Amino acid sequence: MPSASLVFQSVVLGVLLGGLYALLAAGLTLYFGVMRVVMIAHSAFLILAAYLAWYAHRETGVDPLLTLFVTVPLFFAAGVAMQRLLLTRLRPATLTMMSVLLTFSVALVIEGLLGYVFSGTQRRIRLDYSSAGFEFLGARIAAVKLIAFGMAALALLGLYALMKHSRFGQALRATIQHREAAQLLGIDTDRVAGYGFGLGLATAAVGGTALALDTTIYPSLHWHWIGPLMAIIVVGGLGSVPGAAIAAMTLGMLQSLLQLELSTTWAQTVFYVALFATLAFRPQGFFGGRLAQRF
Amino acid sequence: MRTTHRLQGGITVGTLALVLVASGCVSGGSNSEDSPDDPIVIGVSLPLTGDFSEPGKGVERGYKAWAKIVNDKGGLLGRKVELKILDDQSNADRVVSDYEQLIGKDEVDLVFGPFSTRLVVPSARVAEEYGMLFVEPAGAAPEVFDQGFKNLFYAAPAVANDHYNHLAEYILALPADKRPRTVAYAAMDDPFAQGTAYGLKEKLEKGGIKTVVNEVYPPNTTDFGGIAAKIADSKADMVVGGSQYQDGVNLIVALQQLNYQPKMAAFSTAPTEPEFAKAVGNKTEGILAPTGYTQKGDYPSNKEFVEKYTKQFGKAPEEDEANAYTTGQVVAAAVKAADCASQDPECQGKMVEWLRGHQVETVVGPLKWDDKGRPQSAHMIQQWVDGEIQIVLPEQQKEADLIYPKPEW
Amino acid sequence: MPRDSEAPLPAGEASLPASEVSLRAGGTQLRAGETPFWAGRLPRLGILLAVVAVVLSFPSMAPSPYEITVGIAILNYAVLSTSWNFVGGFTGYISLGHGGFAGLGAYGTGLLVTKTELPPFAALFTAAVLVAAVAVPVGYAALRVRGASFVIVSIALVLILLLVFQSWSSFTGGSRGLVVPRPFPGMLRAEHHRTFYFLFAALLAAALLVWWIIDRSRFGMGLKAIREDEDKAQSLGTPTYTYKLVVFVVSAAFTSLAGGLYALWFGDLDPVFQFSILSGAYMVLMALLGGVRHLYGPVLGAVIVGYALEYSKVEFGDTPLHLVVAGLLLGVVVMFMPDGVIPAATALLDRFRKTGETSIREVTAAELRERRGQRNGTEEVRDSERSGSGSGTGTGSQT
Repeated sequence: MPSASLVFQSVVLGVLLGGLYALLAAGLTLYFGVMRVVMIAHSAFLILAAYLAWYAHRETGVDPLLTLFVTVPLFFAAGVAMQRLLLTRLRPATLTMMSVLLTFSVALVIEGLLGYVFSGTQRRIRLDYSSAGFEFLGARIAAVKLIAFGMAALALLGLYALMKHSRFGQALRATIQHREAAQLLGIDTDRVAGYGFGLGLATAAVGGTALALDTTIYPSLHWHWIGPLMAIIVVGGLGSVPGAAIAAMTLGMLQSLLQLELSTTWAQTVFYVALFATLAFRPQGFFGGRLAQRF
Repeated sequence: MRTTHRLQGGITVGTLALVLVASGCVSGGSNSEDSPDDPIVIGVSLPLTGDFSEPGKGVERGYKAWAKIVNDKGGLLGRKVELKILDDQSNADRVVSDYEQLIGKDEVDLVFGPFSTRLVVPSARVAEEYGMLFVEPAGAAPEVFDQGFKNLFYAAPAVANDHYNHLAEYILALPADKRPRTVAYAAMDDPFAQGTAYGLKEKLEKGGIKTVVNEVYPPNTTDFGGIAAKIADSKADMVVGGSQYQDGVNLIVALQQLNYQPKMAAFSTAPTEPEFAKAVGNKTEGILAPTGYTQKGDYPSNKEFVEKYTKQFGKAPEEDEANAYTTGQVVAAAVKAADCASQDPECQGKMVEWLRGHQVETVVGPLKWDDKGRPQSAHMIQQWVDGEIQIVLPEQQKEADLIYPKPEW
Repeated sequence: MPRDSEAPLPAGEASLPASEVSLRAGGTQLRAGETPFWAGRLPRLGILLAVVAVVLSFPSMAPSPYEITVGIAILNYAVLSTSWNFVGGFTGYISLGHGGFAGLGAYGTGLLVTKTELPPFAALFTAAVLVAAVAVPVGYAALRVRGASFVIVSIALVLILLLVFQSWSSFTGGSRGLVVPRPFPGMLRAEHHRTFYFLFAALLAAALLVWWIIDRSRFGMGLKAIREDEDKAQSLGTPTYTYKLVVFVVSAAFTSLAGGLYALWFGDLDPVFQFSILSGAYMVLMALLGGVRHLYGPVLGAVIVGYALEYSKVEFGDTPLHLVVAGLLLGVVVMFMPDGVIPAATALLDRFRKTGETSIREVTAAELRERRGQRNGTEEVRDSERSGSGSGTGTGSQT
C-alpha cells in the first residue's frame, strides 16, 4: 500500500494536471459548441504555442509567460481565420466528418513544419526556478507546476466570466444552444462562431505556454494530448464547458492516483476506459446537455 | 449509361497507366560491374527524421567522417568509398524497404547498420537473408543477439546489459554497512534503455540489494511528477534511470523538485550528452553514467578520429559518432582481410568468417565478438565531479575517484 | 436494377449466390440488356483483364526483389483503403482508427502463430474472426451516436491499443517487438516476396469482389441511404444501426486480414508502427482521393498516395516535410474534391461531352441537385433514398 503522504502527493499532482486538462478541454468544447467541429489540431496548436514560448525564451531570454501577450492574440486571430477561411467552406451536411479530416491535416502540417524548423529534438525551457519547490501540508509542489496551474485556472475563470457576464458571452452561449433561434434574435451567429473558434484557440496558447514551463516538447507530442482531451469532452458531454472541466479534474486525478499502483502506461488508459464506458452506457456524457444527444 | 461506361473505362485506363508508370519508376537499377576504379559503395539507412532523428544524425556524421578519413588516405583496397544514405523516418517498414532497395536495386557492395534496436532487428534480417555482413553501431539490447543472426556484429564495447558491470562490481565490493540497501529503478520502455537498468538490477539483486521501486515509462512521457513522487517516497538509497536523453533530464529535474537526495544516482546516456549540465541547471554533482567512448581514449586511431572529426564538424565526436566510426573501422578491417568488397556471397562470407576469429583495433579500443555478435568488452563509468564528467571506473582508466555517497544535488 | 428502397432487407440477404457472382465478375456495371455490347462490356472487360495481366506479370518483370516489395507495399495500401471503404464509402462514417484493426490483425496472427502454434494461414483467418468479434463492441459504442463521437472513438481505439500492446509486454512483447516466424521456412527472400505479392493481390481481389457485391445488393442500398441521410433512411424503415454495425465488422475483418498478411510477410511487429493514427489517416486519404463511391477509387488512391509519399521522401530528403505534403494533400482533397479524383475528372470530362441518361447510381449528389433543378423538383422522394437526401439538405452528398 502506498503511504498516506504519497497518496496526498498524488492528489496534489492530479489537481495540478487536471487544471491544465480542464483549460484545454474547454477550448475543444467551444469549437464543438459553436461549429459542431471536433478540432484535432487543438493539441498541435498547443505544441506550437509551447515551441513559440521556448523559442522566444531561448533567443531573447524573456520569461516564457511574457510570450502570452503575443501568442494569445495571434492564436485568436488564427482561430477566427481558420473558421472563416476553412471550416465554413465545407458542406454543412458533412461538416462534422470533414472538419475532422481538415483539422487533422492542419495538425499534420503543423507537426511537419515544427519538425522542419526546430528538428525532432526534445526541447525544454531552462528556467532558474525549474527545480524549485516548496512544502504544502507534507506534499511537495514544484513552483513551475503551480504557475502552470495558476495560468490555467485564471484563463478558465476568465473564460467563465466572459461567457456568463458579457454580451458577447451571451451571444456565444445562445449560438451554442440553438443557432437558428440565436439568428432570429438578431445575433450574427457567423461572427460569433468565428470569435468562439478564436477563443478556443487562445486557450491552446495559454495551455501551451503552461505546458512548456515544466515538460519536454517535441513535434509529435500532440498525439499524446489529443486522445485524453477528446475522452474528456465526451465524458463531460460534448459542448458543455463545466462538464469538460469537471471531467478533466476527475480523470486527471484518477490518472495520477492510478499511477501509484499501475505503471504509467496503464494509468493513461483510464481516459479511454472512461470514454468507451461513457459511450456504451451514457452516450450524452455525464454532465452534458441536449447537444450531445445527436452527436 | 454510355457515358458512365466510357468514363469508367477511362478511369481504368488511367489506373493502368499509373501502374505502368509506377512499374517504370521503380525499375531501372544501376549497373553492378565491379572494376578496380569504381568506388566501393556502402549502403546505409538511418533515421534522419522522426523519433530517432537526433542520434540518427550523429551516426550519419560518424559514417561521413569515416568515409572522408578513409578517402583522404587513398580509400580501401585502392578504391574510394562512397556512402549511399537513405532516410528511414525512424520507421521499421521503411528501414526494411531501404535495405531491400540498397541491396537489391542499388546493388551496393557493403552495408552498415542503422540506429536503434527497433530498427536493427528488421534490417539485420534483410542483410542476413541476402547473405550480407551486417555491422551495426546501435543495437545493444539483448534481443538483437537472440535472433540467430550469423552475419551481425555490434560495433561497440558492450551490450546494454553489461553497461554497468564495473559499477555493480564496485558496489558489491563495498563493505556491507556502507552499501546502498535499497534501489529505485525507472526505465524507459525501450529495449536499450531497459537493458542498461535491468542489467544492473539483476546483478544488485543477486548481491542482496533490495529493489523498492521498479517503474517503466513510455518513450513519449513528458511529465515525470508521478514517477518521481514514487521514488522520493520510497527513500531509496540509490536511483537508477534507464534513460535515453531528455527523459533522463526530466526525471532528474522532477526528483530535484521533490528534494529527493539519494546516496547514489546512475542514469544511462543522458549525463554524457554535452548539453546535460545546462539542462538540469548545473545540479549535476555526483551523477553516474556508463559510456562506451571517451574522446580522451588512448587508442591510436582515436586521436586521429577526434582531431579530424573536430576539424570536419567543428565539435568533438560523441558516443553515437564514435560507434558509427567504429562500424566503419570494423568493416574496413574485414574488407582488407578478405581482400574484396562486393555482394558476392563468397566475399561476404569471408569477411564474416574473419571477424568471428579476430580482434579489431578501434576508437573504442580493441573489439572482439562471441558467436552471436556480442562484443566482449565493458563500458567505463563516468561521474560528474567538480562540474565535469570524468571517468571513475575501472581503476586503470580512471581520471578521478568515485565519490560516494554523492553530494546533494 | 436490384433496387427496392421501400422494404429494406436484413443484412443476411445482402450477398448474392456464388453462381451469380461469377457471372457478373467480369466487371460490367449493369445488366447486359441495358447497354450496347460494344460500348460497355467488352472494352471494360478488356481493360480489366489488361490491368489484371499487368498486376500479375509485374513480379516477373521486376528487375530486383526491391521492386516487388514496393509492389507489395502498394497492394497492401490498396487492400487497407478498400477495406476502410466498406465503412467510409458505404455509410460515410469516417474512421481514423482502422490502423488499429490492421495492427490487431497483425498482432493477432503473430501471437496465434507463436503462442498456439496454429499454422500461419489458419492463424491469419482466426485472427480476422477475433478482430471481427472485437469490432462488435467497438462498433456498438461508436455507432450508437453519430458523427463526432464515432471519429473520437476511432482515434481512441488506436491510442488505447497502442498503450495496451506496449504495456502488456509479457504477452505482446511490448516495445521489444514480436517476431513472427516465416510461413514458408527455407524459402529464399526473393521467392518469399513474390509469393506474398500474389497473396496480397488475391486479398485485394477478394476485398474488391465483396465490396462490389455489397454495392449492388439491397444491403448496400440501405448503407448508402445512411450515407445520404440517416434520418430519412431510418424513417423509411432501414435498420440503420444493424446495417452500420454489420458493415463495420466486415470492414474490420478485411483490415485485419491485410494486417495479418503483412505480419506474415514482414515478420517484425512493433506496437509503435502497428498502432499508428497516421496509417489510419493514410487509408482515409487514399480512399477519399481516389473516390469513395467507386470500386476502384481506393486502389487508385493507394497508387497515387504511395508514390506521392515516395516522391516527397526522395525530393525533400531528410526533413519531416512528408508530413506537410500528406497534410496538404488531405486538406486539398477535403476542401476541393471531397468526392475524389474520379468524380473530379468525370466532371471535367462531362463538360466536353454531355450525353445520354446516366444511371442514378453513378451521379453525385451535386449532379443530382442540378438535374433536380431542371426537373423542378417533381421527383418523388420515394424514387430512391438518394434523391431523398437531395431534397433534405441541398448539398446532401456525404463524401
